[in-house]
Amino acid sequence: MSENAPARESTFHLPDLGEGLVEATVLEWLVAPGDRIARNDPLVEVETTKSAAEIPSPATGVVARLHAEAGAVVAVGAPLVTFEVDPEPGGGAPGIVGTVPAEEPTRRRVRLRPPRE
Amino acid sequence: MRDALNRALDTALAEDPATLVFGEDVGRLGGVFRVTDGLQRRHGADRVFDTPIAESGIVGLAVGLAMNGWRPVPEIQFDGFAYPAVDQIVNQMARMHYRSRGAAPMPITLRVPSFGGIQAPEHHGESLEALFAHVPGLRVAAPADPLDAYHLLLQSIRCEDPVVFLEPKARYWDRAPLPEDGWAAAPAPPMGAGRVVRAGRHATLVAWGAMVRRCLRAAELAAEDGVDLEVVDLRWLKPLDADTVAASAARTRRAVVVHEAPLTAGLGGEVAALITERAFRDLAAPVQRVTGFDVPYPAGPLEPQYLPTVDRILFAVQRTLEY
Repeated sequence: MSENAPARESTFHLPDLGEGLVEATVLEWLVAPGDRIARNDPLVEVETTKSAAEIPSPATGVVARLHAEAGAVVAVGAPLVTFEVDPEPGGGAPGIVGTVPAEEPTRRRVRLRPPRE
Repeated sequence: MRDALNRALDTALAEDPATLVFGEDVGRLGGVFRVTDGLQRRHGADRVFDTPIAESGIVGLAVGLAMNGWRPVPEIQFDGFAYPAVDQIVNQMARMHYRSRGAAPMPITLRVPSFGGIQAPEHHGESLEALFAHVPGLRVAAPADPLDAYHLLLQSIRCEDPVVFLEPKARYWDRAPLPEDGWAAAPAPPMGAGRVVRAGRHATLVAWGAMVRRCLRAAELAAEDGVDLEVVDLRWLKPLDADTVAASAARTRRAVVVHEAPLTAGLGGEVAALITERAFRDLAAPVQRVTGFDVPYPAGPLEPQYLPTVDRILFAVQRTLEY
């Protein structure tokens, strides 16, 4: 279990954007080191043999380092960017889908009357 | 809870060399919810291994392995993707023991991260319990908290029948205090048994999976109003522990069943029927159901409107109290 109280570094590797691609070319970085970024914000535009695609940020935090300059060819699986990741609420890293449920304060409107015994 | 399930799988792999864990991303990655984290490293890639994205193949493989003396614990990565495997689950896994007149063992435990509560995309949050509970030959189980998840999964794996094990993904991050003197030392209900997780006298809430916790919360709020609610965690959904449910309903004279699945033909109807059959003379009110609606699990932002809320539970309790 990876637990994280303070911010930690997390490196995002180039995913396979199209079922069996081996590399992509960085067209344009949409962030710079030091920028704050939220999960799903635009991160970088890349071009593969199939299409140009904008990759959204997988994490919320601060951009620490870019591992490839615009124009560079990056292999699938190679480091693309490193983030200083904000700690997750609840301490757990989320899965691939969905969100870690927060312990919500219960708001109640219904009141009960005990039965006559 | 994911730690508890991880420990249970680790224990099962260690105690029986015939136990195998396999599924999508369960090996090298350790599972998308980290439930199988470290198991491949500890038990080897021939006993904890990745499969292609082919649910029918995952369950079919499990059936063949079980027939040949293995004890498979396959994983379907998300409940919505159990549908492609329904043919193998219903036509093979559930029937092979019966079809072979007992010659072909089927000690399979099919783990399925289940139910809603994490605002996942479509196909990643479903309630399949009624579908599988309806199939002769299958057992169905769903844990509600970490410690019980450990015991329930081990009971399922050690069981000689095929079990569909529905893990409430909304509780994976549940960090209940865990026994320092070892998991196995903690008392567990016997195989097939439900449990009363909170005793009360005015009405019984019956639930499973993540809804157990919500019912406990509703019971805390009801107590502020002087209403004393009992909460029963079914644990086993097929066969379900009719004795525990009926005895509780007979004691409190009122029952409300809570589940995430749609209302129509949901398991709540089964629970209501057995309570009526067994405790009719003791009941002061008809059994109420608080459920999801007869629609697919909605997209993330609407999920809180779909899942039973504490208010909906309390409202149903009030209705039973007014009879």
